[in-house]
Amino acid sequence: MKNVETIQRLLHCKKRLVHELDVPKMVRKGEEEGGCGVVGFCCSEPVAGRHIHEPSKQMHNRGNGKGGGIAAVGFVPEQLGVSRDVLDNCYMLHIALLDPGVREEMEKRFITPHFDVKSLNRLDTCDDWKTVPGLAVKPPDVWRYFVQVKPKVLEAFSKQHLLQSLDPEKIADEFVNQNSFKLNQEYYASLGEQRAFVLSHGKNVMILKVVGYAEAVTQYYKIEDLCAHVWIAHQRYPTKGRVWHPGGAHPFAGINMALVHNGDFANYHSVSEYLHQRSIYPQFLTDTEVSALMFDLLDRTYEYPLEYIIEALAPTTELDFDRLPPDKQKIYRAIQATHIHGSPDGPWFFIIARNQTRQKQYQLLGITDTAMLRPQVFAFCDGDVQVGLIASEKQAIDATLHSLSRADTRICPVAERYWNARGGSHADGGSFIFNVTLNGDSQYRVTCTDKFGEPVPMPKGSEPCDFSQEILLSDESEERVHTVINERFAPDNTFKIFEMICELLPQWSFDEIRYACRQIAQQARDAAKTAAAIEILTLMNDRKYPYSNKKKSHIIHIIREELKRIFLTLPGLAAEQKSDNAFRLINFDTKDTLRPPGDSETTLVIDASGFSAEGSNCDAFLLVDAYMQGWRHFIVFNCKGQRYIGCGLGPKTDDVTIDVYDSAGDYLGSGLDGLTLNVHGNAQDQLGQIFKRGKLVIHGDVGQTFMYGAKGGEVYVLGNAAGRPLINSVGCPKVVINGTCLDFLAESFMAGDPLKGGGFVILNGIRLDEEANIVSLPEPYPGSNLFSLASGGAIYVRDPHQVMVDEQLNAGQYVSLTDQDWDLILPYLEENERLFGIKVKDLLTVDDKLRKPSDVYRKVIPAGSGVPDSETDDVMIEDQETEEMAISH
Amino acid sequence: MANFSVPENQLKELLPAQTMATRVPQYQCDRTVRPAPPRYRNEISKYIIRRSDQCIRCGKCAAICPQQVHIRKPGYEYFAEGRYHACIGPSCENTDNYCVAKCPQGALEITENPMIEALGDYRWPSDMILATWKMAESGDVPPAEYGYEYEYGDSGGGFDKLRLKFPKTPAVVLGLDEIDTSLELNRRDDGRPRIKIDVPWYGGGMSFGSVSNTTQLAKARAAVAWNTFTCTGEGGYMERLRPYDDHVITQVATGLFGVREETIQRVPIVEFKYAQGAKPGLGGHLLGDKNTISVSRMREAVKGISLFSPFPFHSVYSIEDHMKHIDWIKHINRRALVSTKVSTPTDVDMVAVGSYYAGTHIIHIDGGYGGTGAAPDIAKKNIAMPIEYAIPKVHGFLEAEGVRDGITLIASGGIRNPYDVAKAIALGADGVVIGTAELIALGCVRCTRCESGRGCPRSIATTDAELAPQMDLDWATQRVVNLYNAWRKELVCILGKLGLRSVKELRGRTDLLLHMDYTSGKEQS
Repeated sequence: MKNVETIQRLLHCKKRLVHELDVPKMVRKGEEEGGCGVVGFCCSEPVAGRHIHEPSKQMHNRGNGKGGGIAAVGFVPEQLGVSRDVLDNCYMLHIALLDPGVREEMEKRFITPHFDVKSLNRLDTCDDWKTVPGLAVKPPDVWRYFVQVKPKVLEAFSKQHLLQSLDPEKIADEFVNQNSFKLNQEYYASLGEQRAFVLSHGKNVMILKVVGYAEAVTQYYKIEDLCAHVWIAHQRYPTKGRVWHPGGAHPFAGINMALVHNGDFANYHSVSEYLHQRSIYPQFLTDTEVSALMFDLLDRTYEYPLEYIIEALAPTTELDFDRLPPDKQKIYRAIQATHIHGSPDGPWFFIIARNQTRQKQYQLLGITDTAMLRPQVFAFCDGDVQVGLIASEKQAIDATLHSLSRADTRICPVAERYWNARGGSHADGGSFIFNVTLNGDSQYRVTCTDKFGEPVPMPKGSEPCDFSQEILLSDESEERVHTVINERFAPDNTFKIFEMICELLPQWSFDEIRYACRQIAQQARDAAKTAAAIEILTLMNDRKYPYSNKKKSHIIHIIREELKRIFLTLPGLAAEQKSDNAFRLINFDTKDTLRPPGDSETTLVIDASGFSAEGSNCDAFLLVDAYMQGWRHFIVFNCKGQRYIGCGLGPKTDDVTIDVYDSAGDYLGSGLDGLTLNVHGNAQDQLGQIFKRGKLVIHGDVGQTFMYGAKGGEVYVLGNAAGRPLINSVGCPKVVINGTCLDFLAESFMAGDPLKGGGFVILNGIRLDEEANIVSLPEPYPGSNLFSLASGGAIYVRDPHQVMVDEQLNAGQYVSLTDQDWDLILPYLEENERLFGIKVKDLLTVDDKLRKPSDVYRKVIPAGSGVPDSETDDVMIEDQETEEMAISH
Repeated sequence: MANFSVPENQLKELLPAQTMATRVPQYQCDRTVRPAPPRYRNEISKYIIRRSDQCIRCGKCAAICPQQVHIRKPGYEYFAEGRYHACIGPSCENTDNYCVAKCPQGALEITENPMIEALGDYRWPSDMILATWKMAESGDVPPAEYGYEYEYGDSGGGFDKLRLKFPKTPAVVLGLDEIDTSLELNRRDDGRPRIKIDVPWYGGGMSFGSVSNTTQLAKARAAVAWNTFTCTGEGGYMERLRPYDDHVITQVATGLFGVREETIQRVPIVEFKYAQGAKPGLGGHLLGDKNTISVSRMREAVKGISLFSPFPFHSVYSIEDHMKHIDWIKHINRRALVSTKVSTPTDVDMVAVGSYYAGTHIIHIDGGYGGTGAAPDIAKKNIAMPIEYAIPKVHGFLEAEGVRDGITLIASGGIRNPYDVAKAIALGADGVVIGTAELIALGCVRCTRCESGRGCPRSIATTDAELAPQMDLDWATQRVVNLYNAWRKELVCILGKLGLRSVKELRGRTDLLLHMDYTSGKEQS
């Protein structure tokens, strides 16, 4: 680390700069903006810009078309028409000219005197911006310069500011930074006309932005075929309506980095003041710019390692802090004391792409705020070609992987792992980092670590399936598989067939697995066997079973493709499509054929792919229409983040079932009042809000604010819940979460006394390993806040080793489990066993010994709960008669 | 009667029967004014009359008093305690009915009631309370001879510093029935019902728990009578409100208490409550004592525990989340309009524009002058931007954006009388929401103890089994109906004096306002 004096000199030279330019102090935001859609991915091979197109489109509803941008890091020199040496060692300046006429003057003042220009060109664009969908105004001309600071200029600069002791590259970085600042001040930030600004100023980094949707960037600037290792994109939602240039759009640049941000600081003022004290003056007046400046400051001026930068931005607090090793506590305490005023408060999530020139690696990282107020998903796809992904919604990840796998079959559309970060935690630090590092001469590899540098564990299976080849089997093995599937296939035998397949699967080759699944799909053509085929493949999709050394993600992909094949070949509703199949398919193009179900028709299968995410063209809307026409069973598949599935059917829907496949969107089942909803995969945010009655089963993880304000219902979650599940929940919800939650579980829980009909949560704190065995998580609940301010209900937490401590409770208390408690929760655990195959016996087995329930589960109840329960002190005032009279009149 | 301008058959298409919760027959209520005298025999009065033992019980005073202040029950020799609240006081002196002067014995003496000094506060001075009571009693503004100064309060700011600038003679002379006070609530051309209300105000959200069910029902019935709306607040939707569904706004607030898909489907308007102007950033709270059995049952929470609605929504941290939230409600209820209620932070204009783009029909800005006793004083007085600054700010910003006519701007927080209504509209609002004024009509004395103990000594803001039944529903309904009548009448007078045909024409006419701090004495007169 640098000595204090150098840091002070660097800060001092900025001070002279702002003094010279007489930059006014601005501490108010220029404009408000809301949450946004962010996505980023990195790949071990350079991939084309068009792949950012699909995920950007998926996130339209997180922006409003008034600002979008992309950034890329790690190009292929030939595509840019420069040598490898120039690409690696020259600054790649991208300058937006809002007034094209300013170029000559701008170059004369800010480029040619200081830089040796190795290459320059105007970015090619479409002839007519109006032909590009999603653009609101004509994007600016962008000029790209590959430059190096002239040695003499650099020498003078370092002499002037006494920076000689610094590495020349770092001096050059600071020079470029200040030069861009001056340029922006002259042509953008100072009063008067806005004529030009610097988009990006790093090595091997490009930022482009428009007033419009992000994907329009790739089309307008014709970079669909431009390849890079790291891409990030941002859809913006500025609340101000009229925007004529993209200066305020994301990403924002630091030296060698680009940052996008989803959220909104509560302490913009404080962070700005913090930066002003270090002579850093924001010019675009948005909190994203401030974030980029913060990161750049911590990185280049203080030269903190990434871990400390993250700590300065998202401090570790509460129980998490206590659980850090003492030496770490000491350092973190110092970082927090120094930088807390620069730490953004409120909801935020950053995705950062950067080029680490010294380490010769590209980096993609996501950082979430301590309270996890914005949605975030990470994913990793391992194999010959590796992909690391970060997004605000899972469907953006799915869309990216689909887009990539279409171009390269080595990339599977299903990732190895999907996970969330727990903000400011001692476990992962609320941040994950993908490093794209040169391995040998030309081969790049992607590794993923958390804030502390710990590698993220990936599933063991490493044998990939070659999806580029059709199924190729010897007659003998074809015969064998054929026998297993076809001869025993019977509608009432589905679970047995599934179990048998599970047993055989480890011995099968990928082609045998593919063939087996294909055979099941073939069976579905027989109307009498459709339901059974769907059931078997669904079980294979939902359940865990040993995969031997095969890549689980590839097996899942095979199963899902076959399921899709079944659904897509189902008969439609049009009159000419005669069939005795009980399942009927409907999609966006045929939605007008909706009619009441015929006698033998039971289930409406909705292909969600063409539907919009909300509004009257949303599949959930069609589902309500179909319900009103008499349909009672639904399958929704091919979801790409469509929202509100299962909402709007109203009460008295006990005879309705909905099965959802693929990426269901936010607010699924928010308002359920009777029906049963199964999600065959991971679910997103805001599920089951105001849930009243019914049943919700999630064969995966679930996102933020799950069951907010719920009143009842029965819920089973195979995996984890993100932040704030069951917050403000009342009545009698009964929830089994097999994994854990990020934090704030059951805050303000008010669900009565569970032994007298109130609600509760069973938190098992387990995961299923590769062999589908139950493994206890290190902590059943890692958060610092459990059951805070709760006044009713209970949490039954599986904590056989008594890991949980009092500090995690605020107004709650641990009590031991009674027989009545066990009688209450056992039926729910049995249903959990039936749904997920998680055996009650296994839950009670700890260290290979079967224990008493009271030795395994602990109960958390409100502290001091004991309000006398008198039913007589107050009654509803009865003058019902008056009302009835009024109505009858 | 619901006044949807969508034809009935078209409406049915918008309301597929099965998405709706079961419909119940809707209550009808007319807006006829009927006297609704105070429910306490000795209502607080401005004046009291002392009768000395010189009285010879001749009965002259009772005979001449047109207000029937003096009461001698048939068969009784002595006078009972008078109906002092009806006495017009010293302004009687110039008439032939001045009992003090006419008393042959000089036994009578009129004094100001010392209790008046304890009644009310700077924002709601005693005269304004007494005048509101009169309006609720008679359906008209109190006659001039009462001498109530009810147009302004004594707060020294806000609406109290604003005056309407009446021309000597209006540009056009209009008959009272030519003046239109209706207000359209849906200005988006989105196929949802174009709901129109007959008066430019509706009732604010007060939960069951914060007020009694009689209070809620009375407000609902008055809303039916005047073809406007009342709001459930956040605390559940009583089954007994069902016959008023067509005139109910149900609130989706941050605690989501009592909010179910079914309750959302019942109503024509759903209101998102992000914050109240009286306590921005503090959420909502119902202290334990008022969380009685029936309240806790309605909210499905634990009895006797203080109930808090958090701030903000746990699922909404940005404008894009807000849009998602609105889309959700629009999906659940395909005919509902969406209102977004926010307080008035300094960037309220941005919030309003953001809400417009997010798809809200009504932006409801709640300034800091409102609030009952349940809002802490420190919050009421110091957090939100004064509403008279917020309204023009939002109005102007929406206009600059070119979206002003696509959204209905509703202001609330300290709207106490028809003059405040006119001022708020002249500042740029389309209409207003009223809260405290309705409670005053029901007999509230502004003791500001709404949150404490078993609740309200006047049986309004309480769910206590002994206190709440003290108020009769029919009486309460009539009081609010009368109040609305008085307000509308006075508003029509104001518009007439300004020469305006409708409240629409008044919107944004800041040229018709004077601010007393910036107006010379001459202009003021």
